[in-house]
Amino acid sequence: MAKILVVDDSSTVRDEVAGFLRKNGLDVDTAVDGKDGLAKLKASPGIKLVVSDVNMPNMDGLTMAEKIRGELANSAVNIIMLTTESSPAMKERGKAAGVKGWIVKPFKGDAVLETFRKLSS
Amino acid sequence: MISSQAKDSIERIFYKAAQARLPMAPGDVCGIVAIKPNSAGAKDRTEGLTEGRAGDGGASRAGKPQTHTGQVVVLTISGILFRLMLLLHFNEDDSTRDYFVKDDAQSTFEEIVAEISNLCCGAMNQELLRYFPDLGMSTPYMLSAQCVPHLEDLKPSYLSSYAIQLGDSVHIVATLCVCADGPIDFVADVTAVEESSGELELF
Repeated sequence: MAKILVVDDSSTVRDEVAGFLRKNGLDVDTAVDGKDGLAKLKASPGIKLVVSDVNMPNMDGLTMAEKIRGELANSAVNIIMLTTESSPAMKERGKAAGVKGWIVKPFKGDAVLETFRKLSS
Repeated sequence: MISSQAKDSIERIFYKAAQARLPMAPGDVCGIVAIKPNSAGAKDRTEGLTEGRAGDGGASRAGKPQTHTGQVVVLTISGILFRLMLLLHFNEDDSTRDYFVKDDAQSTFEEIVAEISNLCCGAMNQELLRYFPDLGMSTPYMLSAQCVPHLEDLKPSYLSSYAIQLGDSVHIVATLCVCADGPIDFVADVTAVEESSGELELF
């Protein structure tokens, strides 16, 4: 089964999002920041969708997205940002880094579940 | 450097964000009362406030001011013109813990209130971005509550604290501190019902 990687420095958000997706039959792994997310992605080629926060210590989510496309040369994985940030400039940077979509927190699982299924299949 | 209508706008943006994001359940009472006039002598807004419920945009009754003990969650919104700090002081008593932690055994109280504070500040950031497109927001961090009185040392253009009551027994104190680097004048329209949060915007 294809995996979804949830990247957030908040354990509350990681647990909420990963728990909801697992409850709905999806295979989920988690990472605590962008650096950890990159390492998990390198180690698990089955990951098809990354759902990531933007503001995180060590490496932020947009830098991670840029490295996924650049350093890892991975253009196949879908990247969705899940963040309190909503600035147009950040979204533009996300688009330029190949981010597929943007969700402003709080997470409402029912609103995105089917799209997450498609993007992770 | 901050006009009175801008101060009023910041306060209304805070009220809207707090009432939308701090209650754990829709319909929970969320009362907010200014407990200290801001440094420029703005009128205390406790008069004429009415009780409200989460999400209805209403203000409400007074909560209990707290002493500067324990920890506060601090978040910063920064741009070219100003730096805004939001400090939220949660008592770690049984009723507050029960209200926020509930049956979430995986996260600590600190982690949960940090994320709640992050959502509240994020909602403020979202509103402020309409008027100041260059803003960025910090991650939440914890500081000793003893730092709160020292905010005045920053010589803020706006400093105000608020007592917030959630449900029947949960009391939080919020402090807003804005240091301006230039003239700030805007009028926020917080009446618009914009509930885009949680929806996926595909590029």
